[in-house]
Amino acid sequence: MAKEVVDAMAMQRALTRITYEIIERNRGISNLVLIGVKTRGVFLAHRIATRLHQLEDTVVPVGELDVSEYRDDVSVNIPVSKDAISNLTAPITDKKVVLVDDVLYTGRTIRAAMDAIMDLGRPNSINLAVLVDRGHRELPIRADFVGKNIPTAQNEHIRVSVEEVDQRDSVEIVTADEATK
Amino acid sequence: MTERYLILSDGTTYKGQAFGSPATTSGNIVFNTSVTGYQEIITDPIYHNQIIVFSTPTIGAVGVNHESYEAILPTAKGVVVREVAEVSTNRQRTLSLDQFLRFNNIPGISGIDTRQLVRKLRTHVGPLNASIVDVADEHAFDQLNATVLTNQQVAQVATPRPYANPGMGHNIVVIDFGLKSGILRELAVRGANVTVMPYLTSADAILNLDPDGIVLSSGPGDPRNLPVSVLTMIKTLETRIPMLGIGLGHELFALANDATIERLPVAHQGMNHPIREIITNRIMYAAQAEEFGVDRDSIDRNQLLITHIDLIDRSIQGLRHRDYPAFSVQFFPDAAPGPWEATQVFDDFIELTGTRGEQR
Repeated sequence: MAKEVVDAMAMQRALTRITYEIIERNRGISNLVLIGVKTRGVFLAHRIATRLHQLEDTVVPVGELDVSEYRDDVSVNIPVSKDAISNLTAPITDKKVVLVDDVLYTGRTIRAAMDAIMDLGRPNSINLAVLVDRGHRELPIRADFVGKNIPTAQNEHIRVSVEEVDQRDSVEIVTADEATK
Repeated sequence: MTERYLILSDGTTYKGQAFGSPATTSGNIVFNTSVTGYQEIITDPIYHNQIIVFSTPTIGAVGVNHESYEAILPTAKGVVVREVAEVSTNRQRTLSLDQFLRFNNIPGISGIDTRQLVRKLRTHVGPLNASIVDVADEHAFDQLNATVLTNQQVAQVATPRPYANPGMGHNIVVIDFGLKSGILRELAVRGANVTVMPYLTSADAILNLDPDGIVLSSGPGDPRNLPVSVLTMIKTLETRIPMLGIGLGHELFALANDATIERLPVAHQGMNHPIREIITNRIMYAAQAEEFGVDRDSIDRNQLLITHIDLIDRSIQGLRHRDYPAFSVQFFPDAAPGPWEATQVFDDFIELTGTRGEQR
């Protein structure tokens, strides 16, 4: 049985809070670059960028990162390449990068993402914003901005739906069977 | 029905019928455009020393109930209506408005052309005093003109001693500037363990309570009449503990961060102004009781972000500190009275205290 733990309204509020926290932590947004991890992290990164634009009237560049080929737990180790990051017009050297993903789990995606970013340049800092932190880390990685902490069992899955691809906003806890459907 | 008179310090006289208490009172006259929520409005300490004109044609149709008190005792000075409902019915009703006003020694006057009166108040510059009297003679006007109302309203209505409103959740300190009960209700709904502190407490005394969050409450009057020590306290606390300011608390938060406060040309008293949350472009409605506002040009954009604006007159409705987890709203998010759609301000605040709590 899928159990909704974050509804559309709560997701909006979480992204709003994360946006304010990003401004707070980085003392302004002039040097900021957002990088969304495909697929849903990209949409979340765009939503944060929209909020920053509303507040500060500044356009923050949003990059899109595809790490699926570079995950060490998915396939044999393929060297991470900077080609994994697309749509990014600005250089990232000396920028404050905020990596945006939907779910933080083992931390392996984020490690791969950091490799890809480092390959592209040398940012001033990398922060991590996630909508959901579900625990069970396998690497020493933690998020700087968390929408919601949802403690889960290993055999549970978190399903994040976003309006842009799933026609609705929600976060659900689902069983392993449901997750593969 | 007994005839009574409403007299204004500009020399105007209105004849009407008495209801509520037969007392003679004087106060600052304001109007409220809310269609519902008269009990919350009359009992809100923000209306301390004020005579409230309701622009809604009929008031009192649902009587008075136990759940809608915003203070133990109302401190408003009078109620002016066009018509007071003779019969009041409601499942929760315990008293009629007439009985309630009688018990609390507040006079009411009905049969007033409130449309004309509201138009006058709208165009009048600055505050205007009024009396509800039995005879509108020269003596009554002399009395009214000789009336000096205190500018220390907060001292009259705020608690002189700390008290607890226990809960099992986050440890929240509410600094009382003339708190309305709705704020405590909304914190209680979210399980907060609340300590209400007098406004003349030192920052150290509050930090010693180890709060997860601090609320600067709403309250009556001009924030510039409060002692400077209040601003010093806020400045110390905002750098240490997540903070939410409401109403007067919002104005004090702005003052503490070097903005200035000015009297609004037309006060907002009602719940019909659309408010835009800038970050999401969402429009919401909330109860407002604002005679003062933050001067937009005085805001140091390197310190404060403007988060909410009023779409009718572009006045500032919300601020947030750039460097600290501290934010404030001019409107009342506690929905007592008012639409429920702004109560998420409390959710945002509790979440802020939650996330910071873990890092500390």
